Amino acid sequence: MAEMVLQQPLRADGKEPNFLQRFGHGFVHGDIFTKLSLFIWGLGYIGHGQLIKAVLVTLVQALGLYYLGVAGIPNLMKFGTLGTVQMEMVFNPATFKNEVNDYDNSFAILLLSIIAIVVIVAMIAAAMAVVASNYNLQLIRRAGKKTNNFVQDVRVYLNEKFYVTLLTLPVLGVVVFTIVPLFILIAVAFTNYDQQHMPPSALFTWVGLSNFFTLFGGGQSLSLTFGYAFGKILIWTLVWAFFATFTSFFGGVFLAMFINDKKTKLPRLWRTLFVITIAVPQFVTLLLVRNFFGDNGIFNTMMSNLGVTDFLHTIGLLSPNMDYIPFLTSNGWAQVMIILINIWVGVPYQMLIATGVLMNIPGDMLEAARIDGANPVQMFFRIKLPYLLSVQGPALVTDFVKNVNNFNVIYLLTQDVYVTADQSMASSSAKEVDLLVTWLFRLTQEQYNYKMAAVIGIMVFIICAVFTVVCFRFINKKEATFS
Amino acid sequence: MKKQLSLAMAAVMALSLAACGGSGDSTTSTTSGTTSDAATTEGSDVSTNWGDVTLTMWGAEEDQTMLREMADAFIEENKDKGNITINIGACSEADTKDNVLTDPTAAADVFAFADDQLNELVAADALQEVTLNADDVKSRNLEGSVEAASLNGKLYAYPMTADNGYFLYYDKSVISEEDAQTVDGILAAAAKAGRTFDMTLNDGWYIYSFFAGAGLEATLADDGVNTVCNWNEEPGADVAQAIMDIASNSAFVSAPDADIVSGIKNGTVCAAVSGTWNASTAQEIWGDNYAATKLPTYTLNGEQVQMGSFAGYKLVGVNPHSQNVGVAMMLADYITNEANQQKRFEERNLGPSNINVNASEEVQAAPAIAALAAQSDFSDLQRVGANYWDPAASLGQILQSGDTQGKTMQQLVDDAVAGITAPVAQ
Repeated sequence: MAEMVLQQPLRADGKEPNFLQRFGHGFVHGDIFTKLSLFIWGLGYIGHGQLIKAVLVTLVQALGLYYLGVAGIPNLMKFGTLGTVQMEMVFNPATFKNEVNDYDNSFAILLLSIIAIVVIVAMIAAAMAVVASNYNLQLIRRAGKKTNNFVQDVRVYLNEKFYVTLLTLPVLGVVVFTIVPLFILIAVAFTNYDQQHMPPSALFTWVGLSNFFTLFGGGQSLSLTFGYAFGKILIWTLVWAFFATFTSFFGGVFLAMFINDKKTKLPRLWRTLFVITIAVPQFVTLLLVRNFFGDNGIFNTMMSNLGVTDFLHTIGLLSPNMDYIPFLTSNGWAQVMIILINIWVGVPYQMLIATGVLMNIPGDMLEAARIDGANPVQMFFRIKLPYLLSVQGPALVTDFVKNVNNFNVIYLLTQDVYVTADQSMASSSAKEVDLLVTWLFRLTQEQYNYKMAAVIGIMVFIICAVFTVVCFRFINKKEATFS
Repeated sequence: MKKQLSLAMAAVMALSLAACGGSGDSTTSTTSGTTSDAATTEGSDVSTNWGDVTLTMWGAEEDQTMLREMADAFIEENKDKGNITINIGACSEADTKDNVLTDPTAAADVFAFADDQLNELVAADALQEVTLNADDVKSRNLEGSVEAASLNGKLYAYPMTADNGYFLYYDKSVISEEDAQTVDGILAAAAKAGRTFDMTLNDGWYIYSFFAGAGLEATLADDGVNTVCNWNEEPGADVAQAIMDIASNSAFVSAPDADIVSGIKNGTVCAAVSGTWNASTAQEIWGDNYAATKLPTYTLNGEQVQMGSFAGYKLVGVNPHSQNVGVAMMLADYITNEANQQKRFEERNLGPSNINVNASEEVQAAPAIAALAAQSDFSDLQRVGANYWDPAASLGQILQSGDTQGKTMQQLVDDAVAGITAPVAQ
């Protein structure tokens, strides 16, 4: 499509008109073809001499309408109730098969309705774009110029507008695999989708905000412990994310500095050794470590032989009737161990990154500091650390969010090993070492409590989003001052 | 549609497990179709003319070869009735419920499962009521197993094995037959030998035995989902105290399954409460000194009380969403019949639920099966809701650690019962 050929500027302030303004102007001032193209997309292009495009856009429109007609609208009609007809099944000995009535599947209704809504929004936007583009064609023709033919159009999308071609697939992917599931997740949080309401054999329906009340301690008797469990798990999630992020970061930085130090011999060897730990799949490491630190594991045997267990008895850190150290099985011990084990898993990555960043520090800056008589500690705190933080700040924020959702480490280290002694936690199938995600996982996988899982999912999302936004604002301000 | 659904579900929950069926046996057997002949001779009677039928069957990883043989025999036997294809997938009987309930419409047509999952499967309409041959199934299997396969008077599954419970096994060289009658006797003998008596206390499955022995109950409510529990009534608090006393004995170790096995191997364990799955290890290590018997009695308020237990059966169920429910029922019936239960016992050492096979001499001679039979007088069906497990395990954890967090025994059982009986739909 050629450049805008506007007789008079659409906006008095001379700015580029926005999408809505262009559509409105086009629709009002357009000829009959432009106007018709709002309803049947191809008509405008036929009128403006672009036949192939007319066929293509009409085909897309037909596909969309076909989906809406066959699946979208029928399901949208039931969206308000999420279905009313329960499944009934009778075995027919004559046919040897089960005969099923024409039942409603609440999840299918929810899914297809949300897809329908997305399709409708997309089609309305597309129709408006079609009108705007047709008005353009109309103006070009009125000016006596030739409109692009199909081959020319394709060429435009391979050259000037190549970014559109490149972005189409990723955007579609985001819509299909991120936005639609996200909408469904949000919708499920407002339904009673749980073990007693599982499609296809049972229906679920809208329950408003009651799941959120449950989470924050309103409503029935058990919700009291659910809110309690949520609070405790939230605090541990944040504590864990903080320590996991910063221990790995500083561990990596110090390791990188030790290895990079001029006095260190064989730096490459050490670096390779640490990188090798990355090559071992994380879950293998974690499951092995879990066995090492088991109540009757190797480490406990060693501790007992070395007399450490007895020592802990005498100083009172261990209750006398425990003849092992409950590394991963008792509240307190387990949290500390998890953070320590995570250092082992996470430090090599940070070391690699820190090595790269540290090498980038301008040598003259360090040289100048040395001449001014700065000692290594001062140089670390005044030059290296600020530099590292300014470069790695955004990465630390993402690390923090990643750790909030660090399923592997927690789940693999504690599943089947840790049994909570807090009865209020147990009543909500939570453990002190759970992160929000591992709790969410067990609620869905073992209890089929999809509605509460969805609520927790939304909470995790909000926490991560707020944290990220706040941190990036802070970092941006900092960056402006750091030079 | 199904695909869309499961895809979206997986995406919504952002997590999907590598579930069963994925590792399914891809080698499938098909009989050459003789359906046309059957059709002409038998007319359109569906019970003798099945047409093309494809079924999927889930069973334990260790049973795959045996299941394939059974499936092939079934195909061979019915080749005059239809063109049958049977695919076999691996799925541990303990996890069947999780995999079926994720999407019942996509689950296998025939699947093996542990009987404790029956109520939840029925509640989700994921089990077909046995409508073909039901009387025959009921009459040929042990009463307890039929009961385990039934809910509200309806038969929902085909009993397959009757050995999924727990019992006591011990080393005769350390513990005499008389010692093995009581927990106190076992602990005294073990202490004398410097060895231990192991049991998993922080697990709802095992801790049940103490409370059940004292006449208290934890069972399914009428709605089939929630749990009824009276452990906080008399003498619940005393039972908790008794458990804590046992746990604090130096010869007692509360250990998970894997630790019991390694304890038996390295010689520290001389007696354990566990199931048939660990019995073979004990038999190997202890050799002729291996003995198995019913659970012992324990001391409650100065009196000896027989420990109860959960009886365990493995069942075969049919998916009501199957396209070929009738043939699927025939297959489930076939793989659990007398001949195939005999085969299971011979090849995999699994205790049969079939009355005739169970009565045979070689089955009765197996110590584990004899022990389970002796325990069966004191065992109950495992009928508890989803909220039973975590609070019960938590109670066990507290009692085994000896740290009561300042609560009295009564408060501990009160809190446990509050969690166990809390309504499942929160």
